[in-house]
Amino acid sequence: MNRKRLLPFIVPISILLFWSIITHFHFVSKLFVPTPIEFVSALLLLVFSGEIIGHVLATLYRTLAGFLVACIIGIPIGLLMGYSNRIYSSLEFVVEFFRSIPATALFPLFLLVFGIGDESKIALSAWSAGLVLIVNAMYGVHLGKELRLKAAKTMHVSGLDTMTKIIFPEALPQIFTGMRVAISLSLIIVVVAEMFVGTTYGLGRQIMDAQLVYRVGEMYSYIFAAGIVGFILNKGFMQIEHRIVHWKGK
Amino acid sequence: MDFIKVDRVGKTFHKQGGQPLCVLDDISLRIQKGEFVTFFGPNGSGKTTLLNILAGIELSTMGMVRVEGKPPGHAKVGFVFQNYNESMMPWRTAIENVLFPLEILHVSSPQATRIAENLLKKVGLLEHKEKYFYELSGGQKQLVAICRAYAYNPDLLIMDEPFSSLDYSTTRKMEMYLLNIWKETKKTTLFVSHDVDEAIFLADKIIVLSRLPARVKEIISINLPRPRKLSMLSTQAFFRIRQKVLRMFENE
Ligand SMILES: Nc1ncnc2c1ncn2[C@@H]1O[C@H](COP(=O)(O)OP(=O)(O)OP(=O)(O)O)[C@@H](O)[C@H]1O
Ligand SMILES: [Mg+2]
Repeated sequence: MNRKRLLPFIVPISILLFWSIITHFHFVSKLFVPTPIEFVSALLLLVFSGEIIGHVLATLYRTLAGFLVACIIGIPIGLLMGYSNRIYSSLEFVVEFFRSIPATALFPLFLLVFGIGDESKIALSAWSAGLVLIVNAMYGVHLGKELRLKAAKTMHVSGLDTMTKIIFPEALPQIFTGMRVAISLSLIIVVVAEMFVGTTYGLGRQIMDAQLVYRVGEMYSYIFAAGIVGFILNKGFMQIEHRIVHWKGK
Repeated sequence: MDFIKVDRVGKTFHKQGGQPLCVLDDISLRIQKGEFVTFFGPNGSGKTTLLNILAGIELSTMGMVRVEGKPPGHAKVGFVFQNYNESMMPWRTAIENVLFPLEILHVSSPQATRIAENLLKKVGLLEHKEKYFYELSGGQKQLVAICRAYAYNPDLLIMDEPFSSLDYSTTRKMEMYLLNIWKETKKTTLFVSHDVDEAIFLADKIIVLSRLPARVKEIISINLPRPRKLSMLSTQAFFRIRQKVLRMFENE
C-alpha cells in the first residue's frame, strides 16, 4: 500500500540526484545546466519578485484564447463532417492537407496577416488546436453507435435535435480527448511563437531572452513554469472530463 | 385497407469483397390495424432485418412494403431494439431516456414528467429513475427501453425480443402488462420472441420464419380467447398450437 504511494516519486528523485551529481562534479558546463540550488533560487526570486506572474498570465491568456476559438470553430465543423458524408467529402482533403503542414511553418504568414501582436499567436494556436478538434469531433461521431441514429429516425427526430441530443453527446468523450491534446498543442504553439518578434510578456520570450544572455537559472525557471502550466491545464481537463463524460467506456 | 402490407419482399446484404448474403426471400404479409403479431424463427434468420425494413430504417432490395398505405418511415413507430445498450442513451438517466420522445413531441415538461414517471412506476423502476442508464441492470435497461417506446405513443409498436433479459416472474408480469395496454390502446404490435409459449400466448397470429434466407414458413392464427390468462398455457388448445410450431423445426 505505502510502497505504491511512493512509486510516482522514485523517478523524479532519481533525476534530481543525477542532476545534482552531474552539475556538482562539472560533468556538464555550467553554461548549459545550473545546479539544482541555483535553479531553485532563480525560480524563487522570479516568483517572489512577482516577475514571473505577468509572463505566465500572458502565455496562459494566449493559450486559452486560441483554444477557445479552436473549440468554437473546430467542434461544429468536426461534428458536421462526421455526420454528413457530403460535408466530409468536400472537406476531408483540405483538413488532412492543412494538418500535414507543420503549424509553425505558417507563423510568418500569420504575422503578415494578423500583425505582430497577440492576434497572430492566438490565431496560430487556434489554427492548430482547431484542426485537432475537427478530427477528434469527427471521429467521435464515427465511433458513435449507428443504432442510436436509427432509433432517432423511427421517432422522426429533427436534424437539429439529432445533432444536439444524440450526435453531440455521442461524440463528447472523443471531443474531450481532442481538447486535451488541443490545449497542450495550443500552449506549445504560443510558447514557440512568443520566441519571435513583437512580444514583451510571455514565457517563450523570457526563455529566449535568458538564453541569449546565458542566465540559465532563469531560463530553466521559465521552462519549468511552462511545464507547470501545461501540466495543470492537462490535469484540470482530466478532472472536468471525468465529471462531464461520466458514461465514457460504460 | 391493410395496416401493413408486405409484398414479395427480399433483402440481400452486399458486403465489400464478400459474397452477397440473401437474408429475406420473397416475404409476403398482411397485418391489420390493432393486431398483435409475433415472429418466431431461428437466430440469424432475418427477423430484426424485417422489422428494420418495416420501421423504415433499412431498405428492402426487392418487393414492396406499405405501412398505412405509405412507404415505411412515415408512421409513428415505437421500436424496442434487441440491442438496448446501443439504442438507448447512456448519458441520460432512466427517466431522461423515457422523456426523450416526449421532448421530440414537444410535450410540456410537467406533463412529460408525469407520463414518464407513470410508465416507470408501472414497471417498478420509479425508485431507480435518477440512475444513469449504464448504472441499471440488463433487465432494468430493457424495461426503460420499453417505457421509451410507450412514451412516444406510437401507431406501430415493434418489440425485438424485449424481454430477453428479464427474469421469469418479471417476464410473466410484463406479458400481462403488455396485453393490458394493448387491450386499452389497440396499438398494432409486432413482437419477436424465441420463446414459443410467449409467442403463442401473446399473439393474434404467429408468423413462423425459416432458417436463412428467411421465408414465411407458416402463419398461424391463435384462436385462444382473450383476455389471455396464464392458466391457458396448460390447456389442450394451447398445446396443439405449440406442437404445430415446434414440429416445423423438427426435421431441419
Ligand atoms: N448490416 C448488415 N450487413 C450484413 N449482414 C447483416 C447485416 N445485418 C444483418 N446481417 C445478417 O443478416 C442475417 C439476419 O440478421 P438478423 O439480425 O435480421 O437476424 P435475427 O433473426 O434478428 O437473429 P436473432 O434471433 O439472433 O436476433 C444474419 O446472418 C446477419 O449476419
Ligand atoms: Mg434479431
